[in-house]
Amino acid sequence: MNEKLSQFHTAILIYMIQTGVYVFSFTQIEAKYFGTNGWLVMIPVSILVSLNIYEMYWVYRLGNGQSIFDILEKSIPKFILAPFYMILSTIWALIGCLVAKQYVLIFQMFAFPTTNPMVFKIAIDILAFILLTKGLYNISKASTIFFWCTIWLSFLLLYFVGDFRTERLTPYIFKESYNMTEGFFQIYLAYMGYELCLLLFPYTDKKTRLFRAVIHGHLLRSVSYIILGLVSFGVVGYDMLKVMMFPSLDLLAYIKLPFMERIENLFYGFFLFTTLITLVLYFWAAGESTRRIFPKIKLNVQYFVIILAALLISYIPTVLDTIREWILILGYFQIGFSYIMPLILILLLLWQRRKKAV
Amino acid sequence: MGIKQKLQSIFLVNDEQSDTPPTLPDNQQEANLTGGEPVTLQHILDQFDDSADFIHKTYQSEHLDVLYFSHLVNEDRLERDVLPPLLNAESPVDILSEQSKYVRVTNAKKCVEGILSGMAAIFCQEQAYLIDVIFPVSRTVAESETESIIVGPHEAFTEQAYTNLSLIRKRVQSSHLKVIQLSVGEVTKTSVYILYVEDIANEKYIKEVINRIKNIEIDAVHDTNMLIQCIDDDPYSIFAQFLTTERPDTIASKLVSGRIVGIMDGSPTAFSAPVNFFEFFSSSDDYYQRWSIGTATLFLRFAALIITVTLTALYVAVTSFHYEMVPQNLLLTLTESRSKVPFPPIIEALLMEMTIELLREAGARLPTKIGQTIGIVGGIVIGQAAVQAGLTSNILIISVASSAIASFVIPNYVMSAAFRLFRFGLIIMAGLWGNLGLAMGLAYIVIHLSGLTSLGSSYLTPVAPFEPYDWKDVFLRLPFSKLVKRPTQVKANNKVKLKMKR
Repeated sequence: MNEKLSQFHTAILIYMIQTGVYVFSFTQIEAKYFGTNGWLVMIPVSILVSLNIYEMYWVYRLGNGQSIFDILEKSIPKFILAPFYMILSTIWALIGCLVAKQYVLIFQMFAFPTTNPMVFKIAIDILAFILLTKGLYNISKASTIFFWCTIWLSFLLLYFVGDFRTERLTPYIFKESYNMTEGFFQIYLAYMGYELCLLLFPYTDKKTRLFRAVIHGHLLRSVSYIILGLVSFGVVGYDMLKVMMFPSLDLLAYIKLPFMERIENLFYGFFLFTTLITLVLYFWAAGESTRRIFPKIKLNVQYFVIILAALLISYIPTVLDTIREWILILGYFQIGFSYIMPLILILLLLWQRRKKAV
Repeated sequence: MGIKQKLQSIFLVNDEQSDTPPTLPDNQQEANLTGGEPVTLQHILDQFDDSADFIHKTYQSEHLDVLYFSHLVNEDRLERDVLPPLLNAESPVDILSEQSKYVRVTNAKKCVEGILSGMAAIFCQEQAYLIDVIFPVSRTVAESETESIIVGPHEAFTEQAYTNLSLIRKRVQSSHLKVIQLSVGEVTKTSVYILYVEDIANEKYIKEVINRIKNIEIDAVHDTNMLIQCIDDDPYSIFAQFLTTERPDTIASKLVSGRIVGIMDGSPTAFSAPVNFFEFFSSSDDYYQRWSIGTATLFLRFAALIITVTLTALYVAVTSFHYEMVPQNLLLTLTESRSKVPFPPIIEALLMEMTIELLREAGARLPTKIGQTIGIVGGIVIGQAAVQAGLTSNILIISVASSAIASFVIPNYVMSAAFRLFRFGLIIMAGLWGNLGLAMGLAYIVIHLSGLTSLGSSYLTPVAPFEPYDWKDVFLRLPFSKLVKRPTQVKANNKVKLKMKR
C-alpha cells in the first residue's frame, strides 16, 4: 500500500472506532453511577484519555514513527513475542466480534424478536471481510463516507431544544452516586478504540500529523458525548435515565416527523456503519499482530481465519448481559494495554537509544 | 498446476513479483518495425484477392499501378487532382519522391494497412507510395438524444472520429491540445485518439491511459463503452470508471480541466478520465444556468439518487417489519390501500419494479411513435388496473414511480442503470431483514465504492480523500469567480484556471 493516511481521515477513523453501540447506553451508566449531572464525568475521562494519547505520542516521537512491532522485535526474541501477539490478536478479535454481536442483539431486541441473531452476525462479518480485504487506506475512505452518513444525526438533537429544562439538570453534582470507581471504568470504555492509533504508525507519514489527528478525532467524540449527555439529562432527567436501558434510542423514538415516526428503527440501522468500522478496525488490528507470527500466509487468509474463529466464539454468549460482562473484562485488558504498552515501548526505545549511543 | 501449488498460491504470500510483462529487447523490436515483408505489387494483390470492392488500375505506358477501395477514397479527387500530374509527367517517380503528400512505404504490412484505412497505393518502378484521399462516410452532426439539455450547445459527436476531432478542435483552439493516435483490435484495427492539453494534464495519467490501450488484445472493439471496459481499473465493478459523453462541450471542459479524453473511430461517445463518482451527477447545464439554479439542480440530483436507491426498499422494510414507523394518520391510508393485496410487500414491490423495467426497456427499443403507445398502455396498466385488481397498493405505485422518475434524473445513463440494478438488491435485503438489511445494502455500496479507483486515483474524491476545495464545484456550483482552481483529482500541472477578480 503506497498511500498514507491523511490527517482528516485519521481523525475520522479514530472518531468512528470510538463510536459504537455504547452511544445508546452511556447516559444510563452516567446516571446510574454518578447520579445528578452525571454527564460531567465525560470531561475528566476525556482529559485522561488525552493524557494517554500524549503518552503514545512519545512512542511515536522517540521511535520516529516505526511500527511498534518493530520496536518490540528489536529487543525481545520472537519466541517470547509470538504468544504475546497471539494474546493481543485474540483480545482484539474478540472485542471486534462482541461489538458486532451486541449491535445485532440490540437490533433483534426491538425489531426482530424471532429471528436468529447469528444470521445477521454472519452477514455483518461478510461485510467486514469485504472491507478488510480492501486495505487500511480504503477502510479509512469508507469510514469517511460512513461518517458523513451518520454525523448529521447529531442535528436531530435540535429537536429537543423545546423540551430542554434546566431544572431537570438540578444544581447538584454527582449526588446519589454509587460506586464511582466502577462507573469511571465503564465510562472509560466508551472512549476505547483510540488505542489502535498505536498500530497506525507505519501507515502514516509526517504530513499526516498522526497525533494531532487522533486528538481531533477524540475531541470530536468527547464533544458529541458531552452534548448528548447534557441533552439526555436535561430532557429526560437523571432519575428516569437510570431505569432506561438505551436512553439515546428512546430519545430518537420520541422524534416525530410528518410522514415517519419511531425513527430509531431506521437510524439504529445507520449505526451499523459506525459499528462496522469499529469491528473492522479491531479485526484489522488482530490481523496486524498475527501477520507478525505468520508472515508467509496471505493476509486475507488470516483475516478470514480470524473472523471465522471470532464468529464461532460469538455463538457462546447469547444474551446482552453476558456480552456486556465479556466486553467489560476485555475492555479492562484493553485499558491495561493502552497504558502499559506505550510505557514498555518508551522504556525499550530509551534502552535501544542508549545501546546505540554506547 | 498441482494441487499443492494451487493451495500455496491461495494461502501463501507470493514472493516473486512478476508485474513487468516480458518485453522484447529494443533492437529486436526495431527490426520488426523496419523489416517485415518487402512491398511488391504482387504481394499486395495477393492480399486483396477475392475482394470485389478492391480496385486495381493499370497505366501501362507510364508503368503506374493504382490500388484502392472505391468506397473508402474520394475517387473524384483521385482522378482529377492526383493522377493527371503523374500521368502527364515525364518521370512520375520524381514527382512521387519529391512531393510530401506521397509517402513511400517499404513494408508490405504498412501498405496493406494504409489501403484499408482509405489511402490509395501507387506503384511505380517497383516502389510503393501511399496518398491520403480518404472520403469519410458519416451522418451529419446532430443533437444528442441521450444527453439533451435546454440551455447551451446542442451539437453531439458522430461516429466519424475526424468530425469529432474537428468539433473538439473548434472548441479548444490551442496548440497545446495534443492528439495521439493508437489502434485497437487485432482484426478491426480501429483508431483510438487520446487527447489532452499539454502543460495542464498530468503525464502520469496520460502514460497510464496509453499503456492500457496498447495492452488491449482483443479481436475487435466496436464502441467507446466497450473500450473503457477493456481498460477499467476494476472490470468486475457495476460502476463505470470512465465518464462517457456525447457532448463536445462537456469534453472540451474536461480537457481544459486537465483530464484525458479518448475518442474512437466508429463511436459517437468520448470518454474522459480520471473521473470520480460525483462527476456522473453533474451536467453541462449546471454551468450554463445561473449559479444558484445550478446548485439547486445539483441538490435535486443527489436527492434523486437517495430516492431512487432507498424509497421502494424503505417501503418494503416498513410494511414488512416496522409498521410502528408509520404515523397514525398515514397508517389508515396505508392499511386501507394494502388491505386487498394478497402478496407480501417484497413480492408486490419486485413485481412493480419489474414491470417498470420492462416498460423502460421496451420503450428504449421501440421507435418513438410506438414508444408513446407503450407509455400510455403501461401507465394505465400500472396506474389503474393493477390497483383495481387488487394486485398492488396505491402507495407502492407512487413509490415505484417516483423512484423510477428519480433514476432518470441522474444525467449519466450508465450510472442510473447501475443504481436501478442495485435497487433490486436493496429491495430484497429490505424484504429479508427490514431496516437492518437496508443498512447492510447501503454499507455494501459504500464499501464497494471506497475500493474503486479511476486510473489509480480514488473514485470517491473529493469526499475521500477529503478535498473541501472541490466541494464548491461538485456538491455546489458556486459563481465562477469562486472556482479558481482545477479539480484536485486530476493533479493538473497548472492548478489555477481563473485569474479575474470579479
